[in-house]
Amino acid sequence: MDLWRELAAPQTGLKSAKDKERMATEFKLPELGENIESGDLVRLMIKPGASISEGEPVMELETDKAVVEVPSSVTGTIGEVRVKEGDKLRVGQVIFTVENGTGTGAAPASKTAAQPRAVPAVPAKPAPAAAPQPERRATPTASEATASEFKLPELGENIDSGDLVRLMISPGATVSEGQPIMELETDKAVVEVPSSVSGVVREIKVKEGQKVKVGEVIFTLEGGVAAVEPARRHEPVEHISGQQAARLAFQLAMRAEGKTEEQALPPDRPQAATPAFSMPVQLGKVAGTDRDPVPAAPHVRRLAREIGVDIRSAQGSGPGGRISEDDVKLCAKNTLAAAAQTPRGTFAEPELPDFAKWGKTERVSMRGVRRKTAEHLRQAWNTIPHVTQQDRADITELEQLRARFAPRAEEAGGKMTVTAIALKVCASALKVFPQFNASIDMGKEEIIYKQYIGIGVAVDTDRGLLVPVIRDVDKKNIVELAAEMTQLSKKARDRKLTPEEMEGGTFTITNLGGIGGTGFSPIVNHPEVAILGLSRSRMEPEWVNNKFEPRLILPLSLSYDHRLIDGADAARFLRWIAEAFEQPFLLSVQG
Amino acid sequence: MSNTSNLRVAVIGGGPGGYAAAFLAADLGMKVTLIDPEANPGGVCLYRGCIPSKALLHVAKLLEEAEQAKNWGIEFGEPKIDLNKLRGWKESIVKKLTGGLGQLSKQRAVQFVQGKAAFVNSTTLKITKTAAGGEENLTFDRIIIATGSRPTVVPSLKLDSPRLMDSTGALDLPDIPKTLLVIGGGYIGLELGSVYATLGAKVTCVEMMPGLLPGADRDLVLPLHKRLEKLFSAILLNTTVKSLKDEKTGIRVTLEGPAVKEKEQVQMFDRVLMSVGRRPNSEIPGLDQTKVKVNQKGFIEINEQRQTADPTIYAIGDVAGEPMLAHKAMHEGRTAVEAIAGHKVAFEPNAIPAVVFTDPEIAWAGLTETQAKEQGREITVAKFPWAASGRAITLDRPEGLTKLLIDPKTERVLGVGIVGAGAGELIAEGVLAIEMCALAADVGMTIHPHPTLSETMMESAEIFYGQATDIYRPKR
Repeated sequence: MDLWRELAAPQTGLKSAKDKERMATEFKLPELGENIESGDLVRLMIKPGASISEGEPVMELETDKAVVEVPSSVTGTIGEVRVKEGDKLRVGQVIFTVENGTGTGAAPASKTAAQPRAVPAVPAKPAPAAAPQPERRATPTASEATASEFKLPELGENIDSGDLVRLMISPGATVSEGQPIMELETDKAVVEVPSSVSGVVREIKVKEGQKVKVGEVIFTLEGGVAAVEPARRHEPVEHISGQQAARLAFQLAMRAEGKTEEQALPPDRPQAATPAFSMPVQLGKVAGTDRDPVPAAPHVRRLAREIGVDIRSAQGSGPGGRISEDDVKLCAKNTLAAAAQTPRGTFAEPELPDFAKWGKTERVSMRGVRRKTAEHLRQAWNTIPHVTQQDRADITELEQLRARFAPRAEEAGGKMTVTAIALKVCASALKVFPQFNASIDMGKEEIIYKQYIGIGVAVDTDRGLLVPVIRDVDKKNIVELAAEMTQLSKKARDRKLTPEEMEGGTFTITNLGGIGGTGFSPIVNHPEVAILGLSRSRMEPEWVNNKFEPRLILPLSLSYDHRLIDGADAARFLRWIAEAFEQPFLLSVQG
Repeated sequence: MSNTSNLRVAVIGGGPGGYAAAFLAADLGMKVTLIDPEANPGGVCLYRGCIPSKALLHVAKLLEEAEQAKNWGIEFGEPKIDLNKLRGWKESIVKKLTGGLGQLSKQRAVQFVQGKAAFVNSTTLKITKTAAGGEENLTFDRIIIATGSRPTVVPSLKLDSPRLMDSTGALDLPDIPKTLLVIGGGYIGLELGSVYATLGAKVTCVEMMPGLLPGADRDLVLPLHKRLEKLFSAILLNTTVKSLKDEKTGIRVTLEGPAVKEKEQVQMFDRVLMSVGRRPNSEIPGLDQTKVKVNQKGFIEINEQRQTADPTIYAIGDVAGEPMLAHKAMHEGRTAVEAIAGHKVAFEPNAIPAVVFTDPEIAWAGLTETQAKEQGREITVAKFPWAASGRAITLDRPEGLTKLLIDPKTERVLGVGIVGAGAGELIAEGVLAIEMCALAADVGMTIHPHPTLSETMMESAEIFYGQATDIYRPKR
């Protein structure tokens, strides 16, 4: 039934200890799987006198269930080949004898050798990842014999580990990018993991039967060349990290398709045990009359569904585009290879405890805005040495002005909020303190000062945090800013923001005053270098003219990138902002 | 996937979809209750649909062939029809098959309840035991609705008269009327009309649309139409029935349409068979206590797994949408159960075969020429006329036709249409070809037994390449 599993499931056929003692003098047909005792030899791939090493294919055998490639479990020179094509071979039968057999005993190999593999899957088609290989070898780094290592790449959503069922490499062997190196059994399927590096294997750090986690080192290389960072296509002037590149690529892709983020990145859907309800396709359509019927046999369609491959994304290699079982597996493998190439953070998350010990839990996919936010903020937090400066502004007078001018903003379709005023205040401050309107290029050891001002405003939506950007804030008046702010917040909440509307920021404001709080330390929105947080303004007793007066106080929190901004500058910058709030007149004089 | 044993599953309706689902669920270790008003599973299909009609159609074919045998030098006397015996034979078939299903239920420990079910909520059913008596509220983990469909009645033509029959009444075979009006030229009307006509009734068939079997390709319908024109006393297309009136001597029928002559506008018929379609049985008591949605046409809305808007409830077969065919229901039933068992499955056939069991039979699967035209899809149609088939000639049935609808680019077989004797059996190969994404070459290069009608599939494929053995039709 489940061929996929059958083909790759670990076999437990262990040979007796007696076999173990006979050191690699002959190679016997290993166990091929449950209830398979024999097979027809359809293709012999060895010759007497040839040298053979462990893992190398010996022959193709046709069993009741499939044609399988049988790999050698011994290394040495082939003496006598005792079988010929067309023979029916039984498990345990001697296939060939070995001269100068090296230490690889027959016994432990029985486990490896017992992994029949559907033949055309691997050798027939090199993974596409292998194509650009020669160029990469030519890069100067190749000449440097730096030992590199291969870590288990990301395997897909919600898969963080797998059981190593078959290792396809051995120390001293040459691997090239795209070559399958092991089979891993995850919750979802048995998958072949391709290498992303090329070179000679020095040491293998895992063994069969072991649980391997994403990010774990699988093997090290001698003179290896790690796969070159992909995607240099849209390299902007600023230095961008891997994460940033991914985000950028994502945004570019979205823009190319003319989609909003909402369309390109559908929001989380709870992963119910049962598939989500959708409107029925008209049965006429189901019957294969309206949409094109998939050119795959029913069992192939089922296999794809089982291992989570969209059958329509698989490339059919058969006549008329017919999709075979192998095509589906190849598609799964390519998806994996692609996943292995996407850059990811170097920090492996520590293992989680088993929460179920303490009570019920529910796992919900972290796709969409939440995941993007998580990635972006982790990256910002890891990159930027954060310091948060606190201050407070007396906005008693400003509040009266705000109330007075509120109707005018309303006429323009906006709301005269503290945030709208803060936009104007910050724009003026950024002009006076240009290092707050900058980015750092560590690679080139340069500071990039921006001669434009775009301020992002964090908006709390039901699907997470979004940051629309208001451009050219310095060129707009407060009424205009209020109107634009109102409009963008609405768009954010209605999920209608376009990627363009979230780009081009040089500074960010986040206002939690609507909820409360006396202060917080926001995280800088990388690659910006500072962010201003506003908390709830309160009436507080202030010492004015030798007595306490009730004054409206707005708490300010400025987080900044300490690599670029010194503490004194930050204190001055924030004081300037506080004073601007206190004396709006400053804006017109200095701003 | 492993914890599905001990799941309590109820299946409402014991037709082919219902019992297929119940049996598979039992085979997978679930605790299954199957509820149906009849004494045994079987549903409309076995009790008053596919099976009894096929028995009668077999008789019709025999009578036809006996008549035709005159041409071959064999003559029988006039057939004597013992209606009681015929009815008894038909009923014995039904009994045998439904009894067998009852046995199969017992062997699988499916709890069969003769009764009716009403929903209390999404997981609870109130089961009224019509045979054993009593009422019981039972709770289940999953419920599969397989309540099927029933014949449609045109409201304006409603008549409380034993002379007006639906398909159920017609299959009871009360008598052989002298004259019979069949309203509706779909497969039910043509099948039953054929039975009555060969048994001796003068049959008039009226169809609203411009052709019989709307939806089927015209070239497939043509040979049947020609034959029925001889068998029936009249086929009136583009014609509607304006009124039915029950009178002492029969039903007075008023017809309207361009094909109706003035004198024929009002006619008397001994019996009238209304076969204008079927409607889903979705009016299940208490269904409004669940989240199940029913669309405007009365079908229960389902997803690819046959799950309704209420996650614990599934729906399959006629009640869940077109085409209303037993084999589609059975496949859906199995899909639903596998989905319940946690397998990643979907109802996604590339072809659902349709068969009209008239004489000649018509069968098709996958894409039809009509659909290809509607979609503006480029196809090559390879036709093999049965006049070139040795087997068809020996049967004296050369009017048949086999055709393949082929994608000219990939050479894939997208659709198959057959008209002729035994087309219903032949279509299975076409369905397999479509599901396995066979190319025309695959069909052509597969050795077919000679001399059989199945060769017409192979030769159609050869025609696509302009190389058919038994017909000269060079590739253009």
